[in-house]
Amino acid sequence: MITIQVDEKACVSCTLCVDACETRVFAFNDATGLPEVVNAKECFGCLACSAACPANAIDHTGVPHSMNFYYDLHSLDMLSKMTGDAADAVPAIASADVKRGLDDLGARLLSLGAVLSATLRSGLPAVGTFAGRTLANQLPRYRVPKNFEEALALAIEEFAPAWQLEPKVSGDTLTITVKDCFLRRLAQKHNSETGGDLCTLFYHYLAGYLSRMGKVRLRHTATERGCDACTYTAQIHPS
Amino acid sequence: MKAKISTEWLSGCSGCHVAIVDLHEKLLNLADEVEFVRVPVLMDEKGYPEADIGIVEGAIRSVHDREAVEHMRDSVRTLVAFGTCAVYGGPSGIGWLHDSESVFAQVYDGGPTNAGHERPDAGAPRLEESVVPIDEVVEVDFLLPGCPPSPYFIAAALRLLLDGSGPKLSKRTVCSGCTRKMSRRPGTALRKGAVTAADERLCLLSQGVVCMGSVTLDRCFSPCPQKGVACTGCNGPSLNIIREPQVDYRGVLAGTMSFLTGISEADVKAYIEAEAKTFYAYSLASPAIYKKPTVELREWAGDGHRHD
Ligand code: SF4
Ligand code: SF4
Ligand code: SF4
Repeated sequence: MITIQVDEKACVSCTLCVDACETRVFAFNDATGLPEVVNAKECFGCLACSAACPANAIDHTGVPHSMNFYYDLHSLDMLSKMTGDAADAVPAIASADVKRGLDDLGARLLSLGAVLSATLRSGLPAVGTFAGRTLANQLPRYRVPKNFEEALALAIEEFAPAWQLEPKVSGDTLTITVKDCFLRRLAQKHNSETGGDLCTLFYHYLAGYLSRMGKVRLRHTATERGCDACTYTAQIHPS
Repeated sequence: MKAKISTEWLSGCSGCHVAIVDLHEKLLNLADEVEFVRVPVLMDEKGYPEADIGIVEGAIRSVHDREAVEHMRDSVRTLVAFGTCAVYGGPSGIGWLHDSESVFAQVYDGGPTNAGHERPDAGAPRLEESVVPIDEVVEVDFLLPGCPPSPYFIAAALRLLLDGSGPKLSKRTVCSGCTRKMSRRPGTALRKGAVTAADERLCLLSQGVVCMGSVTLDRCFSPCPQKGVACTGCNGPSLNIIREPQVDYRGVLAGTMSFLTGISEADVKAYIEAEAKTFYAYSLASPAIYKKPTVELREWAGDGHRHD
């Protein structure tokens, strides 16, 4: 079982933990200026509250450590050397973990193979669409959009770290203007041209994702590419 | 038998050694248990006598620093990187952004305080190409950042290393010791530069001042923000930032500040990038910071971006 402890002396009353928790474990008590754990059993150990807390005042017990494959081992090693607490040391990767990692990688390669063989004959657009739908299928379900509008808003938010997307829906036509684009920046950095295969993949990826999340069918009608912004247009059909 | 302590001072300001003396009466309590066999600011010991605990202040900047830290490693049982320079490179770590030739050129060839424009290369140890924390050169057993670490944490660390007793070293950030409250103040503007904040009870971030308390490990009891001066992160990054490869000062500060004030994250990030040498001053020579995929220090503040 996961337990949650807020260090009340350390807390600076920002309310960020209340907002960060997707399963609403915390409620903020305005009178005391402190968050209260009101729903501990809903905690699934994502540690979003702990990451958001400016004071690092929230401690959990019983949260299984994620595999340390993506960590930087030198940085991990610093933690326990800094606190003198062996609990801060993430255990070295055991050979059983490596096997699990390889199994996982194998599974991913198999599904990639499935995507490719299911779509190769229909070309890049189909690969993109398939990958977008796969993403939508794999996301956690605590924020299922009610309709296409919500799905669109959610997608804009989710892509925001790398793409600035401005959507417009008029009648059954969806136009998305891509203002700030990670791919365009990448291409500029390497002096290569935009508008190639990567863009095709991206547009269909976005469309595949949107159509699965918003429960519609999107029929791509046009893409216009520009130096500062590109636009993607599609017809929206009920699925 | 008393535990022997040996200390060494590399590229640092000696402030960490002064902080040991700052232990005051705690030093007297320790005197029954420890014996100092080498302390550059207090004793004339040129060699590296054997010791149980070795305390190293300062970063590796010159060939002398590298040799000295190797001698320390060979002569002590437990080696402590003491202070932010030893742990992360500290302020001299800014040399990591430039090669040693351009550092020389900047300081000596045109420097206003060096009229003869002479380089001190005779009799001075050669500068290395870059600056690194000491654990890039030797295996280190304990890390005590702080600029300098507060005497409380020095005593706690020594207790831990001597017999495993004493209080735990805090895992919290500088905010945890700050008496200010973070409240939402939508409409507050970003205030740049060394500004103070009018409201004494309200968090500096809520007042538009970029305080680094939330991204900085507490080894100081937060003196700066409590006096109305933004924390500059001199203890180095919080445990969250060290642990998570994708989490960085810039993103965390922009997110928290935007939540509190409505200032756009992009504005906060642009400001931090423009002033990267200030916001990353203490830790940029550490791979724990510069290796992060979101940190482009050489692009923000490297040789191509000198403001001179
Ligand atoms: S996020 Fe941390 S500081 Fe903010 S209210 Fe929650 S416990 Fe307190
Ligand atoms: S951000 Fe600075 S002023 Fe605000 S609570 Fe933290 S240390 Fe205090
Ligand atoms: S509050 Fe910040 S700048 Fe001041 S001593 Fe502590 S870590 Fe250093």
